[in-house]
Amino acid sequence: MTTSLPAWSEAFAGPARPALERVLPLGPMDRRAVFGDADGTGVLVVIVDSGVDGENPAVGGRLRQRLRVELDEEEARVVVDPEASDLVGHGTACAGIVHALAPAAELVSLRVLGSDNRGKGRAVAAAVDWAIEAEAQVVNLSLSSRSESMFATFHELADRAYFANTLLVCAANNIPGPSYPSTFAAVISVAAHDVADPWTWYYNPSPPVEFGAYGVDVDVAWRDGGRIRATGNSFAAPHMAGLAALLRSRHPAASPFEIKALLAATANVTG
Amino acid sequence: MTAPRPPDGSSAAASLAALARRLSAALQLSEPMRDDQLSVAVDVAVVVLDAKAASIALHDPAADRLRFVAAAGPAAGGVLGLEIESGVGIAGYAFTTGQPLAVADVTSDPRFDSRVAEATGYVPRSILATPLIDDLGTVGVLEVLDRSGDGGFSMRDLDVAGAIARGATAAVRAGRAERDAGALLRRALVATARSVDDETLDEAAIEELVRDAVEPLTDDPDDPTWRLAERIARLRTVDPDSVELAVEWLDALLRRGNRGPGHGARVADGR
Repeated sequence: MTTSLPAWSEAFAGPARPALERVLPLGPMDRRAVFGDADGTGVLVVIVDSGVDGENPAVGGRLRQRLRVELDEEEARVVVDPEASDLVGHGTACAGIVHALAPAAELVSLRVLGSDNRGKGRAVAAAVDWAIEAEAQVVNLSLSSRSESMFATFHELADRAYFANTLLVCAANNIPGPSYPSTFAAVISVAAHDVADPWTWYYNPSPPVEFGAYGVDVDVAWRDGGRIRATGNSFAAPHMAGLAALLRSRHPAASPFEIKALLAATANVTG
Repeated sequence: MTAPRPPDGSSAAASLAALARRLSAALQLSEPMRDDQLSVAVDVAVVVLDAKAASIALHDPAADRLRFVAAAGPAAGGVLGLEIESGVGIAGYAFTTGQPLAVADVTSDPRFDSRVAEATGYVPRSILATPLIDDLGTVGVLEVLDRSGDGGFSMRDLDVAGAIARGATAAVRAGRAERDAGALLRRALVATARSVDDETLDEAAIEELVRDAVEPLTDDPDDPTWRLAERIARLRTVDPDSVELAVEWLDALLRRGNRGPGHGARVADGR
């Protein structure tokens, strides 16, 4: 079972972690020096998900905007979300995780789920496009598209985001087959580990999933002010998004590849 | 060796009609097989994940709803036949995003939204949901409730559920491919019948011709032809000697039927 399952998280599971050890070309870096006292000030994080409940205490009143993607046959538009709700609780969970790590970061909820667009790849693409245009520094994508027809669209978007200084943080999908944009080199792809610590993350030298973050039995905010314990790569991604927000506030001039290098250089040492 | 002549309209229609009868028979026999495979999938999920219940909901694109078609376990209750919105709740999230996830302690939040829980009368403590997904898209969701013991579902559980879901997806795809082939065949029959240069073939006659080709075997499951078809289908699993014996019996029946009207003739005629 262990070898036949395509689990990206397997690389970050306890018995497998020693294999992540490698000699860093630049050597490990001191976290205190790299992160300093960063709190996310001046950083905009876009949560592309099921919506965010801005009233949930876990979000700390940092939700600046609630938007959603409106789809029709011709085009996709980003509009103010009149319902301003979280249909599932998942987006609120992601926002809460980011806020816990980067409390001063500003959050924007961009809802792509719901009966009007059913989480279509086109809606996700429109959301990423909006985030690039809004000059967001970090985008959390705990979802992806499997449609081959979206390959070129997401590839172009991932490259555009990369060069526009917008860092896309994507949850890896544990199911084999295409998963865009999480498998692209320009993004930060994340799977889950089970060490109950938001400040533990691993770098995996065997792509496409390069980072492992806390994603098993995570105590998260949920809809209507509630909390639950949740497991999945989609809860690992916002941990890396929160860490990236800290780095972007501490090193505003750093590019996405420099942020990725810093996250790799400060990852937990294994073995 | 001479090249076969292209069939004229009449012989093409006859060939299509024969093909339609065979496909109709195959569909009648394969549909329960698909349901069996989904039943096996939920049975396996309950046993392997040591859960209180497992269920599979398939997406109805026309209504954009998820309908539960298979369930197992002591807490499965009355979930069979239940329909829910496709983008709401934990199952809806897994379906719309293609991202598997698990949540625990859901009962600690009294406002936890679960249409399934309300409808079945069983309120779970933990839920795992993973999409039925392949490269062609998402066809439904596998939901597993309440792992035994104190803990919730692990990443490994998500992987195992994902593997079970992949098998279920293949079964659903196979069933749909056959149905799609049936619809395609029906259209081909209509087109071919219209191309035949025969003034007696008006629209009503064409419809009757197509109905005769496609429907006679699906109207009545107690039709003696079905009993015969099922017995023939079972022959695939028996040894060659038994097949030879069965063929001899059929041969004798047919010869008796050809001698004059009688029971054998009615069976062979299938009406």
